[in-house]
Parts: sequence; C-alpha cells; structure tokens
Amino acid sequence: MSRLQRYGWLSVLVVFVASLAMAITNDDVPATIAERAYEIKADTLCPVCDGQNVLESNAPVAAAIRRQVDELVEEDRTDEEIHAYLARQYGQDVNAKPPGTGISSLVWSIPVLVAVLAVGVLISSFKKWRSGRGKLVTEEDRELVRKLRDEP
Amino acid sequence: MTASIGFLGIALGLVGASCGLIEILLALLVRKSSGFKRSLIWVALMVFGCVIAVGAMELALLQNNFSLAYVAGNSTIETPTIYKIATLWGALEGSLLLWALLLCGYVAAAAWCFRTKIHDRLVAWSLATMLAVCVFFFGLLIGPASPFDTLTSVPLDGEGLNPLLRNHPLMAIHPVMLYLGYVGFTVPFAFAVGALITGRLGEGWLVATRTWTLIAWGCLSIGILLGAWWSYEVLGWGGYWAWDPVENASFLPWLTGTAFLHSVIVQERRGMLRVWNLSLLLATFALTIFGTFLTRSGVIDSVHEFSASSIGPLFLGFFAIIVVTSVFLIGWRGDRIRSPGSIDSPFSREGTFLANNFLFALFAFVVLLGTIFPLLVEAVSNEQIAVGRPYFDRMLMPIGLALLALMSVSPMLSWRSTSFTTLAGKLLGPAACGVGTMALSISLGAHGVWPVLGLGLGGSTLGSAAHQILIGTRRHGWKGIIGRTGGGMIAHIGIALIAFGFIASTAFSEEGEFVLQPGDSASVAGHEVTFVSVRDYFDGPNRVVSAQVKVEGRGTFAPAITRYPTFGRPISTPSVATSWIDDVYLSLAAIPDEGMDRITLRVLIKPLVVWMWMGGALIGLGTLSALIPNRRELAKEEKEDSSSSERLEAKL
Repeated sequence: MSRLQRYGWLSVLVVFVASLAMAITNDDVPATIAERAYEIKADTLCPVCDGQNVLESNAPVAAAIRRQVDELVEEDRTDEEIHAYLARQYGQDVNAKPPGTGISSLVWSIPVLVAVLAVGVLISSFKKWRSGRGKLVTEEDRELVRKLRDEP
Repeated sequence: MTASIGFLGIALGLVGASCGLIEILLALLVRKSSGFKRSLIWVALMVFGCVIAVGAMELALLQNNFSLAYVAGNSTIETPTIYKIATLWGALEGSLLLWALLLCGYVAAAAWCFRTKIHDRLVAWSLATMLAVCVFFFGLLIGPASPFDTLTSVPLDGEGLNPLLRNHPLMAIHPVMLYLGYVGFTVPFAFAVGALITGRLGEGWLVATRTWTLIAWGCLSIGILLGAWWSYEVLGWGGYWAWDPVENASFLPWLTGTAFLHSVIVQERRGMLRVWNLSLLLATFALTIFGTFLTRSGVIDSVHEFSASSIGPLFLGFFAIIVVTSVFLIGWRGDRIRSPGSIDSPFSREGTFLANNFLFALFAFVVLLGTIFPLLVEAVSNEQIAVGRPYFDRMLMPIGLALLALMSVSPMLSWRSTSFTTLAGKLLGPAACGVGTMALSISLGAHGVWPVLGLGLGGSTLGSAAHQILIGTRRHGWKGIIGRTGGGMIAHIGIALIAFGFIASTAFSEEGEFVLQPGDSASVAGHEVTFVSVRDYFDGPNRVVSAQVKVEGRGTFAPAITRYPTFGRPISTPSVATSWIDDVYLSLAAIPDEGMDRITLRVLIKPLVVWMWMGGALIGLGTLSALIPNRRELAKEEKEDSSSSERLEAKL
C-alpha cells in the first residue's frame, strides 16, 4: 500500500466513524406520544381490509383502532400492553409483527438456522476445493471426456 | 357469436399445443424426424387460435357485449376505451388469457429463433416442455377458467372493475410488463429441462438462453417497479411496497432470477455451479407458478387478490409436477453436472458471486417463509397470526445491506484471486464515495445508524459502478456502456438509486393530518400547504370532491376523493408535488359532508422517492444495453473458451 493510499484509508475511516457517531447521537427514539402512536398504528393491521395497516386504511374499524391506540398511549400503556390488548380485541392477526413465543417464534429462528447451515456448507465446499486442487485425473474422468468427445 | 369465436380460438390453441406436443414427443421417442418440422406448424396454429381468442375478447369489451359474463362482470358502457382494452387483464379469466397470449408469443419467438436447429434433441425437448406449459394454460382456459362463458339474461350495463383499477393509465401497463417477466421465464426453464433430459450440460445451452432470461428479468423488474409506482400514485397512503403476499409472489422469481444472472457468469467463465444454476432456473419458473397459485386461489388475504376461484388446486398440482420433475431430473443427472473447476479464493470475483447467491437465496427464503408462514401456522395449530412489515424489515435489512456491500466490492475484484494490496488500492474510491455519502446525508439531516449506513453503502455501490463504466468508456468510447458489463453496471446504478429512495423515504418521511377551511395553511417538515378551494360535483353517479391545494414553491395540486355507488369505501386520489429532493404527497382522508367546504388533508413528505422510478428506468436501460451483442466481449469469450479447453487437454 502506498503512503497516499494509507492516508486515504485513514481519512475514510475517520469520516466513517464520525458519521456513524453523529448518526447515533442525532437519532431520535419515538419519544413523543404522537410518534409512539404512529409506530403502533403502523404495526397494526386493519382486521377487515386485506393486509393494509390501520394507518393506511379508510375503513371505519381502522379509524376506531386508531382512536383506541391514541387513548391507550395517552394512558401511558407500554407498547406490549397495547399490542396485547388489540390482539385480544381483534385477534392475534392484527399484529403485523409475529409473536416471538410458541410456534410463531419459528418464523424468526428458521432463517437464522438456514443461514448458519448454508455458511457451514459454503465453508466446507471451500475446504474441499482447496484440498482438491492438484488432484490427479482419474480414469473415470478420462472416460467421461472420451464419451463427450465422441458424442456428435 | 363472439363467444363462440373466442371459444373456438381457445380450442384451436389447445389442439395446436397438444398436437404439437404429441408430434414432437413421437419424433423424439420413436425417432420419426419429420415430426419436428410438423410441430412448428402446430405451434403456428396455437398462436393463431390464441390471437383469435384475445381478439374476440377485446372486440366484446369494446362493443359492450354484456352477453359475456366476463364483460358484464368487469366492464361498463362508460369505461374509457383504454381501460376497456386493459380490462382483458383486469380479472382472473382474462388475465389467464393474456398469460396464454404472451406465452404463445414467447414460444413462437423461441421456435422461430431455433427453427433451423429443431432436429437438435435439446431444442426439441425444450420446445416440448414449452408446449406442455401451453397445454396447461389452454386447458385452464377451455374449462375451469373460461373467459367466454355467456349469460342467459343479458344486463343493460356491466358492473365494472374495482374503481381502483381504472383511475390510472399505469394499470394498463403494469400487469403486461409483469406477465412478460413471469411468462418469459418459461423459455429458460424449458431449456434447462431440455439440457437435463439430453444430458448435454455443457455451457452451450446457457448461451442460447441467457438472452431470454435477461429479457424476462428486465420486464419483471420494470413490472414490479411500475406496480410500486402505481400503488404510490393511486392508493392514497403514500406507500409503494407493503410486503403483501402478492407483491412477495412477484418478488420471489425476481430474487432467484437475479441470483441466476450473476451465478451464470461464474459458469460461463469457470464452468462451475452447474447444478446450482439449473436449480435456480427451475426454481424461478416454479416460483412464478406458485405466485400465481397464491394470487388466484383465495388462500391468502391481499388487496391484489383476484376473486377466489376453483383453479387454485389446479395451479398447486401444476406446481407440484414442476417441482417433482425438477428434483427428479437434477437427481438423475446429478453425476453429469459435477463441476470441473474450483474457487481458489473468497476474495475473487467468483467468490463474491457465490456470496451474492447465498444472500439472494437467503433473501428469497425469508420472503417465502414470511409469506406462507401464516398458512402453515393455521394448518398446524389453528392459530391465526400475521407476518407483516416489521418482520420483513428486521429480517431483510441486514441481507439487503450485505448485498449493497457486495455490489460495492465485487465489480472491483478480478477473477481467481485479488491480492490485499491491489484490493486496498481499488476499493479506496468506492469507500470514499460511501463515507462521502454518509457525511453528506448527515449534513442534510439524516439520522439513525442503519439508514445512514445503508445510504453510505448505496454511495459506494454507485462509486464502484461508475468507476467500471468510466474504465469501459475510456477504453472503448461510448461503446464501453454497451454489452453485458456496461449494462450490468448501469443496472447497478439503478439499484443504488432505488436503495437511496427506499431508505430515505422509509426512514425519513414525515406526515401530518389537518382539517382545513379554505384559506387555511398547514406546515409539515418545512413545506407549507394552503387549501385554496374545493369543488364538489357528480361525475355520472359518482360523487367527486376535488380540492385545490397550493404547495409553496411547487404550484397548485388537486387531490380528490370519489364515492362510487357500486363500491363501499370512498376512493382517494392523491396528488403528488414531486421534486428531486422530496415529494409532497397530498391526499384527502375523508369525504366531507355535502355542502361543507372543510377538508381533511393528509400531507406526507417523502424524500427521494423519485430516485426509485429513475432507478427503474436505469435498470431497463441496463437490460437493453446488456442485450446488445457486443463483438468485443464475444471475441474475448471465444478466446478464453479455446484457451481453457486447451488447458483442459494439456491437463489430460
């Protein structure tokens, strides 16, 4: 690495760390009542309108849920309490976020499991490829090539 | 009369497809070579029949022929002509007719391209596979989903489409593009099946099909984005993607198709990943059929869903046949597809392509799991749960960011292996673009670790793609952007723009809802909007309330809301004041009481949304450029092919 490149990477690193630090400090957690209510509504599906959330829907029941959420947030209930309340009232399937317990938790864990397995397979393939390099040609390979060549 | 002609057309199509299939199978199995040429005549008959059927349906729609159940159910006398034409794909039966038409088009084009090679067993098996797919679709159209059913008592006027489907011209184009993508994957699928059956698994068939895959992929990309644009412009809540099952169904083949377009390069250059590439093609086609099953069987709740019908089990059966056949063929030919090459280093172009495929496959898996998980849970435990945006956002964000990171690195790597020093030199440019974008976005008010990081990775992707394009144009002038490398990099820039738009509009949008009297103003995120006046009138039986709203510095816009007597909820028609930096999205949230001039106005500020649509255009351009055969690239490939076969011979 040339000296110029080294300085280049150093400045990239500095700007990167500085930007991330500022991104974290600027970040506002949903603190106000309106912002909290907005988040909860965005994660609550309208029970009668095919996959839209209650923010998006014009249906009367969506409007009713919006009002309920506003009231519950005003009463200073936690997000979990509000989601649980809405699930009791309208069914678990109004919660767009699948629960992390019971059978539903599988939807969270299966992809992680699959990813770990796939990485394992990839690593073992790399090892096989590396150890397989320089392997001698077998009679079987020659046979295959002969056959392919003879094919019209 | 029209119904009979249409039915006759479909019957001709079915006869053509079936006879062509039988003829070609006989020729293949009994070695009667005259059958190959005759099968092409049957293909022509099938296309002819399908064109007649589509023509009959369009005629019936344009002439308001309400004796046809399809026309009576989905069109009205007042429907404007362009939507009458588009009604062909507005509902279940017609959309299958369009599918058949496009399928016929693709099959005819493939048959024409390969007409001189039809005696080649690989081509013949591929044509047989395509015709088998045609038989399935014509079989659906002639019985279970017939678009030409007639009514005994003819109504004076039809019911018309859902009003959401007839108030924006995009609705006329989006499904056609999407279907061009879906249906187009039939051709590479057929060639993959042909290659597996004949056992000719070298690289030859790939070259023949990559153009077809690219066309299908380009159409699907544009189709999906047009769909997103349509929801943004029409649905009135300012969203363009909701992880709805039907959207996911269109996204799944796109993901596997994109993975294929990348991994196929590894096979062409290094002869590796053969099983994997074939599996990706088979999976892509299977997923288009599975998506069609999801959207047309009524098993899921979705805004896009077609009316529930009895054809669900048929699609599921067809899907099962495809999966079983694919798995069998791969298992049967598995020993022949053993790859000769090996990947030397993960820090090489092929190493990053492998990582790309891992991530795309995982992405597709998460989308598929999230889509069908509620069905699985309900089947097992009778519990009803929903899997929505929070799930997809959380699970897919890390994969998406990793893909962006790969897009920044991969184009800068060489084949086989890249040394650390070279890497450090080459990656400095994209890295600088990345952190530059981060710093810029923060100075413009961006916040939060993930959005800022995502924008930075978008910037580095842009940097590395621009770098490759610069190198190409410096060497070859404007021809540097033509061909697969140049086209691919243009598409990468398109994806980076979409990433910018997606991240910014998801993370930094702001909104407010206001009840306004004429003359009142409201302000959201520094944008002042003033309600000027309202017009309340009847358009035929429909009550329309249209507001004049002035957006500071952007002009006057007219969001409206309409109550259709035939449709329950009022439909809001938003109006968007677009700029490069942000959209001011105006929609009326409720229909005012008659005689009142007070409106409920929803104002959303959505940054960088227009970048996504530009990104879509770039993907289209990139696809076109990649489709143009580039002599320089072809010559290079031939040279490499011959040198690699020499190497192989030397080794033996």
